[in-house]
Amino acid sequence: MKSADPRVKLLWAVVCTSGAVFFSKPWWMLGLTGFSLFGALLFGADLVGLTRRLKRFLPVLLMVAAVQVLFVRTGAPLVVVGGRVLLTADGVWRGLSAAMRMVIIFCSGAVMAREDSRRVINSLIQMKVPYVFCFSLFAALRFIPLFGEAFAQALTALQLRGVDLRRVPWRQKLRLYSALLVPVLAETLARAENLAAVMEARGFGALPQRTIYVRNTMNGRDWAAVAVLLLVGVFAVRFYYAS
Amino acid sequence: MTAIALFDVLYCYERSGFVLSCPRLELRLGELTLITGPNGSGKTTLSKLMCGILRPKQGRISIFGRRADELSLGEIGSKVGYLFQNPSRQLFAPTVWQEMLFVQEILGQDPQPARARAEQLLARFRLADLKERRVYTLSRGEQQRLAICTMLMGGAEFFILDEPTAGLDRSHRTELYKLMDELLLEGKGLAVISHSRELASRWKCRQVRLREGQVLA
Ligand SMILES: Nc1ncnc2c1ncn2[C@@H]1O[C@H](COP(=O)(O)OP(=O)(O)O)[C@@H](O)[C@H]1O
Ligand SMILES: [Mg+2]
Repeated sequence: MKSADPRVKLLWAVVCTSGAVFFSKPWWMLGLTGFSLFGALLFGADLVGLTRRLKRFLPVLLMVAAVQVLFVRTGAPLVVVGGRVLLTADGVWRGLSAAMRMVIIFCSGAVMAREDSRRVINSLIQMKVPYVFCFSLFAALRFIPLFGEAFAQALTALQLRGVDLRRVPWRQKLRLYSALLVPVLAETLARAENLAAVMEARGFGALPQRTIYVRNTMNGRDWAAVAVLLLVGVFAVRFYYAS
Repeated sequence: MTAIALFDVLYCYERSGFVLSCPRLELRLGELTLITGPNGSGKTTLSKLMCGILRPKQGRISIFGRRADELSLGEIGSKVGYLFQNPSRQLFAPTVWQEMLFVQEILGQDPQPARARAEQLLARFRLADLKERRVYTLSRGEQQRLAICTMLMGGAEFFILDEPTAGLDRSHRTELYKLMDELLLEGKGLAVISHSRELASRWKCRQVRLREGQVLA
């Protein structure tokens, strides 16, 4: 299915990510995670390579999950130390589902990352999405690697300021990670502003319509996949809210 | 005194296959060393090796007499300050004043002596009027000076500046040169990456040339 039409992959990604946003029942989340991983493999996403490249974001994601585990206080107590409840069932569950959500979104991202961006833009335009929007969206996606680089450099700079990450207490660590976002966001905004100016200077958006040369075509297998995905989506919604 | 020394260092980027080799190079306190070479010749790579951001595949680097591979970035940072090509990546706090005290606050140190020192440094490097300014509204030259001030707050003795003159107008360049003069006068060491003729003629200093990853001392 590697060569499936970009529209099929988009539909699959939409199904997975909307599930990730709306589901909160444990077994459903687990099922969706499996469905996403299966889809990612089927569409030939480079999960291992991408994981390696995003390794340095892992601590941040773990923090997000850990915060939920520690600070959600409702639900049956799981671990009690000296009369104080450390972990609750709800907390652990929230942490786990936060992690699964990230896996699902990661899978969708991984599949779309493998697809040629021009093909995706073309198929969006074929679906009558305004082309200005399509191109802006993909210009935004180009910024993601930049995020990584800026984040890594900010982290290095922070350590060179004499901050030993292992010695910083927990509470301060949260502040540290939010401080790291300051230079990353500042740079992204500055670059976005430049890019917008440059695109306009080249006449981008001057005309309401835009023609495309290469048109994507859906074959029988693609239509079948769309049918299956729509069915799965409709049934999932039907049974999720019924149970 | 030798601040940073490289011995037969070899480094290679796995992704691009670029190789940097440096036979022997010593950088001393109280001296200015210019690092020059065409774009892509490895100047930034060399400077990142000098302060432990990159670790060599072969050879040895010593920083203030200690082996770099035994030091954490935090420990190196208390001796060596590194100014990135893009200084906005090393500023974290909303305002200039908060930036000066950022690390002390994170580490939970006594704010009183730090405040006095910050006042002093800002006044000395003509940033005192900008105390309440947002960091990202500063010009590039001002951001550089602020970044260098924060390194002085941390006690750095040796400074590595990556293309500090790029994109600065004449008045900001003059400010930068004054700052460099002051650091040298105080006995600090400087390694400056630059193409600028102005620098080479202003200070009759040692030049380290790079060509295609080869350090030609
Ligand atoms: N992170 C990296 N991964 C792979 N190759 C890199 C990386 N950074 C720089 N290079 C390559 O190493 C070479 C030297 O880069 P650099 O040290 O930045 O040169 P300079 O600062 O002299 O312009 C360039 O050819 C560049 O493409
Ligand atoms: Mg460079």
